[in-house]
Amino acid sequence: MTGYKPSYFNVFLTFARNSLVRDMSFRTNFILQCISTISWTVMNIGFYLIVFQYTDSIGKETGWGRDEFFVFLATTWIINSLVQTFFMPNAQQFSELIRSGNLDFALLKPIDTQFAISFPRVDWAALSNLLMGIILLGYSLFQLTTKPENPLILDWRAILMYPFYIVCGTVIMYSVMIILASTSVWLGRNQTLYNFWFYITNFSRYPMEIYKVGWGMALWVFFTFLVPVLLVVNIPARIMARPLSTMNSQMWQLAGFAIFATLACLFISRRIFVRALKSYRSASS
Amino acid sequence: MPMALIELHNLQKTYRVYQKKEGLRASIKGLFKRTHKDVHAVKGIDLQVEQGEFVAFLGPNGAGKTTTLKLLSGVIHPTSGTASVMGYTPWHRENDYRRRFALVMGQKNQLWWDLPAQESFRLHQQIYGIEPQQFQNTLDELTNLLDLRELLGQPVRELSLGERMKMELTAALLHSPEVLFLDEPTIGLDVVAQHNIQQFLKYYQEKRKITILLTSHYMKDVAALCKRVVIIADGRIQYDGSLSGIIDETTNRKLVTLQFADPLTDQLMNSLKRFGTVVRHEAPRVTLGVTRDDVPAMLTAILDAHDIDDLIVEEPPLEEVIAEVFTRVSESSAVQATEDGNC
Amino acid sequence: MATAISSQRHTGSRIKTWWTILKISLEERFVYRGDFALGTLMRFLPIITQIFLWYAIFEASGKNRIEAYTANGVVAYYMLTMISRAFSSMPGLCSGITLLVRDGEIKKYLIQPIDLLGFLLITRIAHKLCYYAIALIPFAFVFYLCRGFFESGWPDVQVLCAYFLSLILGFLLGFFIEASLGLVSFWFLEVTSLIFVYNLLNFFLSGHMFPLDLLPVWASEFVSLLPFQYLAYYPAAIFLGTIPPDQIWQGLAVEACWLVIFIIIARVMLNRGIHRYSGFGG
Repeated sequence: MTGYKPSYFNVFLTFARNSLVRDMSFRTNFILQCISTISWTVMNIGFYLIVFQYTDSIGKETGWGRDEFFVFLATTWIINSLVQTFFMPNAQQFSELIRSGNLDFALLKPIDTQFAISFPRVDWAALSNLLMGIILLGYSLFQLTTKPENPLILDWRAILMYPFYIVCGTVIMYSVMIILASTSVWLGRNQTLYNFWFYITNFSRYPMEIYKVGWGMALWVFFTFLVPVLLVVNIPARIMARPLSTMNSQMWQLAGFAIFATLACLFISRRIFVRALKSYRSASS
Repeated sequence: MPMALIELHNLQKTYRVYQKKEGLRASIKGLFKRTHKDVHAVKGIDLQVEQGEFVAFLGPNGAGKTTTLKLLSGVIHPTSGTASVMGYTPWHRENDYRRRFALVMGQKNQLWWDLPAQESFRLHQQIYGIEPQQFQNTLDELTNLLDLRELLGQPVRELSLGERMKMELTAALLHSPEVLFLDEPTIGLDVVAQHNIQQFLKYYQEKRKITILLTSHYMKDVAALCKRVVIIADGRIQYDGSLSGIIDETTNRKLVTLQFADPLTDQLMNSLKRFGTVVRHEAPRVTLGVTRDDVPAMLTAILDAHDIDDLIVEEPPLEEVIAEVFTRVSESSAVQATEDGNC
Repeated sequence: MATAISSQRHTGSRIKTWWTILKISLEERFVYRGDFALGTLMRFLPIITQIFLWYAIFEASGKNRIEAYTANGVVAYYMLTMISRAFSSMPGLCSGITLLVRDGEIKKYLIQPIDLLGFLLITRIAHKLCYYAIALIPFAFVFYLCRGFFESGWPDVQVLCAYFLSLILGFLLGFFIEASLGLVSFWFLEVTSLIFVYNLLNFFLSGHMFPLDLLPVWASEFVSLLPFQYLAYYPAAIFLGTIPPDQIWQGLAVEACWLVIFIIIARVMLNRGIHRYSGFGG
């Protein structure tokens, strides 16, 4: 029996399968959830369509015209839906486990505790957002590549880097979330976790160029280097939406830094998670 | 000297809790300044348990039983002291250790609420890496013994409390643990369900020869299952031995019930009080609590002076004796509360 | 029929009951201070991104006015909607009612001589008072810092009165809409998606996401027929003077009608729901 290692992949498949069984037993709710997720994205498009009635681009000479920005928006949705599908329900559950003392059970299992709390629930309905993201991405790329003047020519390097940076972005988001969720050990009830999450990641939803005016630089530095949420969407969207030849050296440096930031976030979140577990004491004695 | 399967040496656990004060003003103050209280849940426990024992922990609420079980499961770290279970230190939480024991808590559930229990079982199979054949055999055996076969496909939220507890037990036993910690497994269950679970535990423990530590408030659980009883109160072990031994060791009283042929006058009652305390008085019967050594002398004196129709000498009931131990402990230990204002 | 005296005593004891409930829930709120402090601070973060977004939009458009708004005006609008939302949003109300019904805890309220809606309203007021008590200082600070965005300064007294009235009506309207939504759980247990849909519509149609005047005319006319605008847009628009003074009171009257409608809906749903609940035997 010694030396046995559980197959994390199989455990994850069982998690995903169980979640699907659960979601299917509340079918109406599941469908409603899909519909509301999709209507959310539609409203978002509506908002930006209104905005682009009054302007041609977000920020002067930033290159984020309507279709480029829709690539950005699609990237936001793709990353968000991955986070919401795989991590969001678990982070919320984690806070709840800490509060109720049910974390005990996760601690008893002979698998890594961070794994055991990060993956048990998969919110399949949130994947509908991924679908919407891909559709919007496809549509706006089509618009960009077929426009009469200066059509975008897709670069195979960009096509390879895009999914890679999507994964990096998702990992950064996951790390921020785990850090936030871990704080429930010290802060007690943490119902507003979702709010914190929303407020922090809110900065990632817009092209980073808009912050680079006046005192916005301070924000730009903070959310690029200290809490690197600005890199999450900006790097992959920038790579995909506009020709790589127009990437300046600073952008390339940031792209390199994003890889480092991903690893650093993962490392730090792991450390904080372990600290949190140590401080955890069961709710009932 | 070979080590016992479970060994605890001077195990201690102190919690620090935030104290909520009464009143609006105090709670606004709590925003800025918090008072903490140190709760000494376990104040130093020494214990050895051999392989195959079935030990009961008895004690009042907050005595430290559950904390001890959690320390042994590695869920929490002790403040000081050592523990070894099958050679492992529990709070190192090694995977090898975690695959060899199980903890069942009567007040918490680990099964997925909205799913049929069998889905949770399958998850356990994956997490504990149980061979499919072995998994099926164990599951069949357990579901037969606990009579759960029909319920496996039903969402857990639709099960009764008793059925849910049986499912929890099944989940905990799927990986055939060698050590089992049970924290009030029969809490809130009706008499039939309690009895079923007792029968099951008894059978399973005797068959598999596993080691079980159980906490319970029900003396029936304990009487039915455990030869060895550990009384924990105020964070310390107050008694460790056989169930019947509790009476010998912790009380030196016997109950003497006398049925008088003469009417029970006040004078007679007063004369009885010389021998011991009157526990019950339902004319023509009187029950007295008498120090064990005094019983012969007392009987001789009374039989000489009065006509007695009937006479019973018996041990005091177990529940009362244990309750007595609990109150004695709580009276003797002053509440230790150190307060400090920490932000 | 109760006599005058006993009914008076009745109201007296009732007020005492409500007062006790208010006090207890205030205490409860103050216990979780860590949550509270961080929560208030974080609330201002989205405004910052909105400022940058809109400045980028105005800069690229080359205009200094979009519909009725200057770039500063849009920021002022968003800040004011934050105040509206601080009144009209009811976090946890709907899901709280759902939990009460699902866990059967609602029985407590059926047994005790307490009106459920009244109880929830009181605890909500406590919740809000508590929030304002703590949030007032950061709010005042941020508004002082950002006073430059309010180009036309303070409105006159009459408009200011209408503004405060619209905030209070917004609070009540928000409460009764969400309470009605929560009471749906007497009929359907899983209402989480319903809450989500509501929040979504609310976010978009209340003017929280952007000033409703930016919508195309046909859409903004449609939206003005719905109750949502009173939860964020309307108070802000009163303050900024977007709504002509002679039309303000008319709008408030319509809002009051919506409030009455939702009070009735919530009442009827509660009565029907309890009837249905006790019919099933809990």
